Amino acid sequence: MNENPADLAPELCVLIAAVLGLVNGLFLPRTRQWRVAVICAAGLVAGLAVAGVAATRPDLMAFDAFEIDPVTHVTRIVVFGSTLLVVILAAGQVRDHPRESEHYTLILLSALGTVALGATSDLLVLVAAYLLASIPAYALAGFGKDAPGTEAALKYYLMGALLGVVMLGGVTLLFGVGRGTAYPMLREGFADASPAVVAVGVVALLAGPLFKAGAVPGHFWVPDVTEGAPPAVAAFVTTVPKIGAFAALYRFGAETSPGGWAVLVAVIAAVTMTLGNLAAFGQDNVRRLLAYSTVSQAGYLLVPVAMAGRTDLAEPAVLYYLAAYAVTNVGAFAVVLAAGRDDLAGYTGLLRRSPLLGLSLVVCLLGLVGTPPTAVFVGKVLMFGAALDGGHAWLAVVAAVNTVASVFYYLRWIIPLFGRRTGRPAPRPARGASTVAVVAAVLSVLLGVGSGIALTAS
Amino acid sequence: MSAALRGVWGVVPPQKAGMIPGWGSGLVVDELSVFLLVTLAVVLVAVLAYAWADGYGVRFHALMLLFAAAMAVTVTASDLLLLLMGWEVMGAMSYALIGYVWSDPERVRSADVAFLTTRAADMGLYAAAGFAVAGAHSLKLDDLATANAPWRDLIAAGVVVAALGKSAQLPFSFWLSRAMAGPSPVSALLHSAAMVVAGAYLLLRLRPLLDATGWAATTVSWAGALTALLLGAVALAQRDLKQLLAASTCAQIGFMVLAAGAGAVDGGTAHLIAHAAVKSLLFLCAGVWLTRRGTHRVVDVAFGIGAVALAGVPPLSLWVTKDEVLAGVGSSALLAVGFAASVLSAAYAGKALLRLFQAAERVPVPLAQRIPLAGLAVAGAGLGVLGLPGILGEAGPVAWESALAGAFAVLTVGVVVAVRRVPEPAWALRWFWLERAALAGVVRPGFAVARALARFDDRVVDGAVEGVARGGRWTAGLARRRVELRVDGLVGAVGRAARGLAALARRPQTGQVHLYFAQAAVVLAVLVLVAVLAG
Repeated sequence: MNENPADLAPELCVLIAAVLGLVNGLFLPRTRQWRVAVICAAGLVAGLAVAGVAATRPDLMAFDAFEIDPVTHVTRIVVFGSTLLVVILAAGQVRDHPRESEHYTLILLSALGTVALGATSDLLVLVAAYLLASIPAYALAGFGKDAPGTEAALKYYLMGALLGVVMLGGVTLLFGVGRGTAYPMLREGFADASPAVVAVGVVALLAGPLFKAGAVPGHFWVPDVTEGAPPAVAAFVTTVPKIGAFAALYRFGAETSPGGWAVLVAVIAAVTMTLGNLAAFGQDNVRRLLAYSTVSQAGYLLVPVAMAGRTDLAEPAVLYYLAAYAVTNVGAFAVVLAAGRDDLAGYTGLLRRSPLLGLSLVVCLLGLVGTPPTAVFVGKVLMFGAALDGGHAWLAVVAAVNTVASVFYYLRWIIPLFGRRTGRPAPRPARGASTVAVVAAVLSVLLGVGSGIALTAS
Repeated sequence: MSAALRGVWGVVPPQKAGMIPGWGSGLVVDELSVFLLVTLAVVLVAVLAYAWADGYGVRFHALMLLFAAAMAVTVTASDLLLLLMGWEVMGAMSYALIGYVWSDPERVRSADVAFLTTRAADMGLYAAAGFAVAGAHSLKLDDLATANAPWRDLIAAGVVVAALGKSAQLPFSFWLSRAMAGPSPVSALLHSAAMVVAGAYLLLRLRPLLDATGWAATTVSWAGALTALLLGAVALAQRDLKQLLAASTCAQIGFMVLAAGAGAVDGGTAHLIAHAAVKSLLFLCAGVWLTRRGTHRVVDVAFGIGAVALAGVPPLSLWVTKDEVLAGVGSSALLAVGFAASVLSAAYAGKALLRLFQAAERVPVPLAQRIPLAGLAVAGAGLGVLGLPGILGEAGPVAWESALAGAFAVLTVGVVVAVRRVPEPAWALRWFWLERAALAGVVRPGFAVARALARFDDRVVDGAVEGVARGGRWTAGLARRRVELRVDGLVGAVGRAARGLAALARRPQTGQVHLYFAQAAVVLAVLVLVAVLAG
């Protein structure tokens, strides 16, 4: 049994940064708490570097629960990378806030939980990781202590509590069926267990990751939290926990392959993407619009998850789509932060006012549609390929129709950008958030253009 | 070509300069073109010196030099391609020079007429070039005679038409009358060493081709002889000195064309050179009288010498060269016509000579104009040596013929000067109404055909296009009324349905947690059902 802590070095880097940040925050004066942001960012960068080095080593299993394989590598890199962007976004928001250092620490802890969620192949660790990823996020949602934030945090917590309990029930059931919690044991146990019991157990187990992923039926919190929580937190909770959730879903599906997995997840995917797209149509609040957009993106992401184990395209599709989605979504939220407006009308003439910011938004939104040459386009192509290769052509058709429909509400946001603004001048966009938006847009395009290199190298 | 001259010429081998690789194209200075080049250069210097004294500007000199350069290319070209280039540039420059005073619409119209007439004839040369490529697979002038039967005749026909047009032979002569609209120095160059002689030169150069066809040589001979005779009559009837000189140019070039047709190449060349000197001299003298409204002793003497030489009075130049041409003519009918034309030339020269007897005021003429006049007069008087046996003439003129011709010339001039009155019939005064005939026979039918074709284009071709457009609009209207409504309705229905569904999709998001819980529970239950059914 491998119990070498060095195999978890990236996570340890981030954990140490979180602890150091918290301890430093206790002693630092309020005006110098920005140092905690630097510590946390340094920890994330170190984690990224170590994860990059680890990705070159052969696959292995640590502590009988953590699988260090390509899924984990990508999860680590994408989670740490997008968390880094979120920390930069948050740094501008909570500067000189009384609890500034807690903010960064909570973000880092939640990110750690997310990585554990994606890396584990044991149900009990999955539950622990779920809790680690969720609880800091509840606190973050209500960080502003204002009415919408509090309401958002409460709804987030209540939904998470319900679905977490259901998930625990599912874990119990599956433990009983499989006589163990490790995925290889479950795989053997499923073979000669009652299908109905397995079905109930799997659905109950899925409740947790689906909550984290923001997919039906765990999507109810997404619009409310995205609108009510501080924008940086909204960017975080709609991006980072999803990465771990989808990695966990994919890993569970691929390694235990319960009966009916493909159909079950495919149905969830179809419902999720359709619901998200339709609900986004009439939104005038860009944060709610982005929230429903993330729901629909979750639906697309569930397509290759459903195809886990059925085609070789499933794994690259999940991983590439995750990376592309994370970068693009953070970029879109960064623009919202920079512009400081939540209503669609506030974006009229943005391209004229600040061309770089407007262009970044256009790139990110067109990226979410899946326009070449952005990264999400490559992810979507792989997703369609996985659906067709896995024998679920109907799912590809549903996804295609949804993609076409999604153009509508993204364009509703893009078109005003080209207009001419009337009325009072808007405030200058925040510099840090603008930078993050531009970086994310550039990354999105680079990931799309360089997809050939990225996919052949892996 | 005499042995003596051939000896001199032997020192300088033919000079060649290639232009298009593979086509053997280039410029050649050989036995024929060297004389023309020298003549061109001498006349050009004389004319430009004269023009300089009259104070012409940059545009005039640029055009004149281009004109002369184009002529030089034309006479040295060894293939049809280069020849056409020189030929065309020369034609364009003649247009610009005739219409030099562009502010006068009448002169510009004259330039139009001259240019369009020569252009129309030039088509023959283009056709000849095409036929040469088809028939002889070469554009080299030396190869044209070797083309196969139908092609050879077509080439010859094209060349003859172009040459007759450029040289203002019948029936194209009228453009030369129009060309008088240009300034005197232009006329002096255009009528002597450039432009009009290019046609005669081309025929002289392509003598083997004319011989090879059989009919072409005869046709050319008769065209030249008849032009010499009839335009001689026209010249005799003219009242205006410049018009007289213009018609006399046609007639004199008729002798050269006759020489080309009859095979008297050396005689034709000699006549061309001598005529160039005489005619430029006469035009420059006429220019002095016209521009200075007076005369000068040098001008009078020079004009007298020129006119007497033009008359063919012995021992001046044109007497010798013309007789050499006539000596080369074999057919007696042609000879008779040529002889009659020769007498006519003496008559109109005599009429020109009468100009000297009119009283005129004495005016100073600058040295820069007197010197070229004197030089040209000397050349015009003495160039007869070219025709002597051993210089350019292979066989000298027959002695008694020469004597007879000289006697007739002296006699005719004497009679004209004595009588001082010659008949001026309207047909001759109006150049046989050639321009009017061309207008009626070519221009008006051409315009009529063009109008008819334009109507055809408007009604049929354009009508078809507009019909297609109308049909397209009609079809579009049909599609809009019948098809578009349904398609549009379908699109609208999809949009409305999407809107309805979108409104429905927002219904579950009530904002109330207990409803969220209930919905999540229901969905999970349904999912269990799905999983059970699928598993």
